[in-house]
Amino acid sequence: MPKRKLIPLPSAAFQILLALAGEDLHGYGIMRQVAEQTRDRMRLGPGTLYSSIQTLLDAKLIEETEPREDAKLGHERRRYYRLTSAGRKLARLEAERLADLLRLARAKKILRGEYV
Amino acid sequence: MSEKIFAWLLHLFPSRFRKAYGEEALQLVRDRCRDEKGFFSRLRLWLDLLGDLALSVPRAYFPVQPELTGYLAHLRSGSGPAFLVLEEESLGPGALFFGGLLTLAAVVSFSVLLNHRVKHVPLSALIRPAPGSADHRSSSFSPRTPEQARDSQVGAIAPATGQQRERAVSSSGPESSKANDAQSNGLTRPGGSGPRKVQSGQRLCSANAALAGANLNRAERQRVVRGAAANLEKHYIDPVVAQKMANALLEHEKNGDDDAATDSSAFAELLTQQMRDVSHDKHLEVLYSEAPLPRRPPAPTPPFQARYRKAMEQANCTFEPVQTLPHNIGYLKLDSFPDVSVCQHTAEAAMASLNHADAVIFDLRDNRGGSPGMVMLISAYLFDHPEYMYNPRENTTEESWTRSPVPGSRLADKPVFVLTSGRTFSGAEHFSYDLKMLKRATIVGETTGGATDVGTFHRLDDHFGMGIRETRAINPYAEPDWAGIGVEPDVKVKAADAPQMAVRLAESKLQKK
Repeated sequence: MPKRKLIPLPSAAFQILLALAGEDLHGYGIMRQVAEQTRDRMRLGPGTLYSSIQTLLDAKLIEETEPREDAKLGHERRRYYRLTSAGRKLARLEAERLADLLRLARAKKILRGEYV
Repeated sequence: MSEKIFAWLLHLFPSRFRKAYGEEALQLVRDRCRDEKGFFSRLRLWLDLLGDLALSVPRAYFPVQPELTGYLAHLRSGSGPAFLVLEEESLGPGALFFGGLLTLAAVVSFSVLLNHRVKHVPLSALIRPAPGSADHRSSSFSPRTPEQARDSQVGAIAPATGQQRERAVSSSGPESSKANDAQSNGLTRPGGSGPRKVQSGQRLCSANAALAGANLNRAERQRVVRGAAANLEKHYIDPVVAQKMANALLEHEKNGDDDAATDSSAFAELLTQQMRDVSHDKHLEVLYSEAPLPRRPPAPTPPFQARYRKAMEQANCTFEPVQTLPHNIGYLKLDSFPDVSVCQHTAEAAMASLNHADAVIFDLRDNRGGSPGMVMLISAYLFDHPEYMYNPRENTTEESWTRSPVPGSRLADKPVFVLTSGRTFSGAEHFSYDLKMLKRATIVGETTGGATDVGTFHRLDDHFGMGIRETRAINPYAEPDWAGIGVEPDVKVKAADAPQMAVRLAESKLQKK
């Protein structure tokens, strides 16, 4: 499968890293978590989701854990994904980069103070 | 169902992707299907899936993006030359198979669409009804010179004039977009209900340039020739001449004289010439129309009369205000001969304003023609006794005499000048020709357009028709009428110089008195 570069970090990949920051999730869980944290603006389709996961796995930003069942979703065993320390670091770098952008935007009076 | 379709769509992805994540992707769709029920949720799900496919499938096959960061770091360390191997992957057999299948489907549907006959509708037909139609009264066929043809445009529609008798009238030729174009001269059908006019000339014939592709084969030529011959025998006023012309047409066709004419409009002109060689009748011609000729005249449009009336009211019936020039010369510019039923009062008012004049100039340089009734109405003021006005397009009836004298008119013995140009057409030529032949007016300006007004239009096939004059008006003059040649002015000057010349002539005439 073709590798995709992660610099700059694509927004889908960043959202996946953020989704996994709280807990380990399976694919559908990631999709739901991303939808929730973007207020439904980003609903990852299977193609985008799993190719991003593959890319993140290749870059060792996330890792696979032992397949297990999700009690809420039935008895199928699902692959779960976990954020690695490299992944957490990259997410933090990306967030700082965005925070810098935010500060800049605020300095240029594009954004008002009420935005975090 | 959704799951099955998606399972099939998954084959669009590379095999490695399917092997690694196919099952999981399918499960994700299954989960979403379970959680998102209802029409709109399902619709959203499919929009998501299709949008995702559109984005991620090409990306999955996209050439490998090398991970250049490591490479750059390697360069920076300065450890000598470095090579980078780009990872490549060939397409899996499944992907090739589906790709081939899609290509095949695209090619097949494309070729099916190509062979599918779609009816060609010219743009002009969408904008307004196509001109020309099967046997019905019409008028105004083509100007003969290419110059006039170029000048010409599309036809307007004639108003329904209820009280007018059936007639084949002159019509305006090339049109400008002014109200006067919407004039009556077109054809009025029996009963006066159907406003329409065949503005064939300009569009039908001599549009040579546009018709490069309109080639004819022998069978088509034969069909047109036979149709023309049959129509001549059936409709032409003189059966003996009709027979001669029909024979000539068939003879020419048989001898292969027409074979050279593969261009449709050239063929139409050739047939016209062949008929005229026998009959010398300029009111006879075969016409070619690039746009298909309708089988039946379009349905009458009742509001037309109202629209025409409104347009005429707005344009003061195309009468421009009467001016009085030095030496008490009355000047009236008239851009059409509008319908009497609508414009009688305007015309009478204009003539009343001219009544005081010692000489009258009618400026017809922009007059594209109009109703013969109006020609007669205005002419009546210029005589002190009923005068016969020859009109090749109408049978001679008592309407062919002017209703002179007009009570109160003082114009009957005043000098009259008519200004003409190459764009003076049809009804305006009727006016000019008769006043000239009666020596009642001096024509100043250019030779007029030479509208060939043919009485009745007969459809020969989808693209060919012919005009045959069915009236038998007697031309009292030794000279032929204006059909095809125009009215020759008495004083030939450029149209722009005509007013000045007419004023000078009028002044000298008045001084002699």
